[in-house]
Amino acid sequence: MQSSSEPLTVLIAEDSAADRLLLSTIVRRQGHHVLTAADGAEAVEVYLEQRPHLVLMDAMMPVMDGFEAAQKIKQLAGDQLVPIIFLTSLTESEALARCLEAGGDDFLAKPYNQVILAAKIKAMDRLRRLQATVVEQRDQIARHHDYLLNEQRVAKAVFDKIAHSGCLSAPNIRYLQSPYALFNGDLLLAAFNPAGDMHILLGDFTGHGLPAAVGAMPLAEVFYGMTAKGYGLAQILREMNAKLKRILPVDMFCCATLLCLSFERCTVEVWNGGMPDGYLHDSLTGVRTPLPARHLPLGVLKPQLFDDRTEVHPMALGDRVFLLSDGVIETSDDHDQPFGVEGLQQVFAANREPDRLFEDIQQALRDFRGEARDDFSMVEVRLVAPGQLNPPPPVYSDSGQSSPLDWSVSFEFRAQTLKRFNPMPYLLQLLLEVHGLRAQSGALYSVMSELYSNALEHGVLGLDSSLKHDASGFAQYYRERNARLDELNDGHVRVHLHVTPLGDGGRLVVEVEDSGQGFDVARVLARPLDSDRLSGRGVSLVRQLSHQACWSDDGRSARVEFFWEALA
Amino acid sequence: MSEIHLDRDVLSTLKEVMEDGYLELLDTFLNDSEARLRVLHEARDAEKLGATAHSFKGSSSNMGAIRLAELCAELEQRAKQPSLGGIEKLVSEIDSEFAHVRNLCREEREGFHC
Amino acid sequence: MSVVTEVSDDGKKLTISVEGRFDFGRHQEFRESYERLNTRPDSIVVDLKKATYLDSSALGMLLLLRDHAGGDDSDIRVVNSSSDVKKILAISNFDKLFDIS
Repeated sequence: MQSSSEPLTVLIAEDSAADRLLLSTIVRRQGHHVLTAADGAEAVEVYLEQRPHLVLMDAMMPVMDGFEAAQKIKQLAGDQLVPIIFLTSLTESEALARCLEAGGDDFLAKPYNQVILAAKIKAMDRLRRLQATVVEQRDQIARHHDYLLNEQRVAKAVFDKIAHSGCLSAPNIRYLQSPYALFNGDLLLAAFNPAGDMHILLGDFTGHGLPAAVGAMPLAEVFYGMTAKGYGLAQILREMNAKLKRILPVDMFCCATLLCLSFERCTVEVWNGGMPDGYLHDSLTGVRTPLPARHLPLGVLKPQLFDDRTEVHPMALGDRVFLLSDGVIETSDDHDQPFGVEGLQQVFAANREPDRLFEDIQQALRDFRGEARDDFSMVEVRLVAPGQLNPPPPVYSDSGQSSPLDWSVSFEFRAQTLKRFNPMPYLLQLLLEVHGLRAQSGALYSVMSELYSNALEHGVLGLDSSLKHDASGFAQYYRERNARLDELNDGHVRVHLHVTPLGDGGRLVVEVEDSGQGFDVARVLARPLDSDRLSGRGVSLVRQLSHQACWSDDGRSARVEFFWEALA
Repeated sequence: MSEIHLDRDVLSTLKEVMEDGYLELLDTFLNDSEARLRVLHEARDAEKLGATAHSFKGSSSNMGAIRLAELCAELEQRAKQPSLGGIEKLVSEIDSEFAHVRNLCREEREGFHC
Repeated sequence: MSVVTEVSDDGKKLTISVEGRFDFGRHQEFRESYERLNTRPDSIVVDLKKATYLDSSALGMLLLLRDHAGGDDSDIRVVNSSSDVKKILAISNFDKLFDIS
């Protein structure tokens, strides 16, 4: 960047030889380098070849006059400012106005005054340098902007790899996500757990752009990793909250709704921290039950204070859960009025075909806003029969050489542990070290979870599953469960695992005992299978998915077997 | 109308600015001016007359030939009027004024050698 | 200025009033309102009587304030919230962290 004391190159365009000579000498004496031209055409040519910093232009010249030459030179200069000072003995204001119109920046009257000329050259040069700075900064900003766009593209590509390891394409899920979702902070994840249950997360990070993406990635990894291992919502939530609390700045957090949809048990487990109400839609009655936020968003509370309590609702085949981001509620019209929950309720009321809910909402938003935009996310999940879904088999990354084939282990989980620890994921991981069992990981997980929860809830806590006959009964059951668990001081659940070779394959025996009152085994086993009942299906499930299921010790002890053939 | 044929103050400033180039400046002015006078005599259209007068006015004022410059200014204005009648008289005046200025310039040239 | 502060005579109570839209544009002013004090007040009141709108950046700013004032040991009340503002605070369950009225 030139400083104010460096010499300039000045073009003097003047047809009078004497005046040209005089002016050149004056300007040279001021320390500048001088170029000359005797007419307008020559002036343009010299400008093109030498690109002087400043032009002194006589107004009246032959061939091409000063006005035309000035316009041409200004065009050639483009972004940059090349100051043009008209040399003139024109006095009428009309003529002077012409100079300005032609692009002149100043005048110098004849007879030439050296002092005035020096002052004008200095002033014009200052303007020229200012313009050059502005143009350079503009170009810098444009380059920087391009870098940022590219960085965002890269972040999005990395994120897409993580986000799309899920099951959003399952046939019972419908969703709408803004293409700019990541950069609005919206997150939508879905995955099957080993039992075939579906976990879903709809989240909304504070902020936009890279900060939101940076938080979303570890969250997605926790969600997918822990779901695949069979962890429950509570454990996954605790881990996600702790992670975000640790890595995000104090003022960043993630509002989120998490669902666990169980197709076997026909229930949905819900946790909503800071998101707008979700809705549970009863397909028979048409009633939509709101699922409001009962928790602070993820990443706000310290792990010790985090509340992982979920709510469980029963569902029937065909029922749906609908979640939306606050982009829908906050859509505003010309008068800055928000669409609001009222707008949404109106769409619900008017909706005739549940399959068209998304279209109805989009249309309503379009009508409200006057244009179509896509800065919101929605997801709807339907409860279907378990056989209708095909969860992909889990992928294992080890070589298969070191499978443990002959071992036993026993665990005893006592009151203080039962309160805050779910051993299922660990036990499952342990069992999946046995390669022969991997093909049955779904059944294994379902059966063991069922046996464990029966032992805990009906055995140790003494809960009566007949409470779960309707929605309010369900809520009561889970409230009671949490209360009794909080107060638990005695009791235990024992789990015994025995793996032995059998022929070319092997056998697993699982025994689960609890310290409870037991139950009338014969009566329960004699009950017919009733798929409409919300409870009591656990025993039939266990019998269906495993071998030699039997109960002893008055129902306090359950035993099942799994077999596998030699692996190919 | 000014009585100054060649302003001494202007000349000394020019001397100071031009230094060794002072003589060249005087010569250039004289040559240019003679060429312009020829055009003034021969010109038939008002535009050319006016443009030449304008140009002559400029260089005369730069040299300090005040009266000459003023006469040229008058000619420039007259050339804008619809009728060119009586303009030869003004051109003659410019002729004689220039002759006077030329003599003074030649004196300047002699004086400069010292 | 859309963020106005007032300290009680004994220096123990700080009142921060926010006017207009409480959003990302208020970030710097809001931080300075409590960071620039010489004393550490015992209690803080955030007055939202003139606040027309609150978004997630405002929630983030409240978290920063809480962290600065001692986290779980802080005493912060958010007062004079309009019904719209109260709704936003309720959905995000911020009444579990702040005394809201």
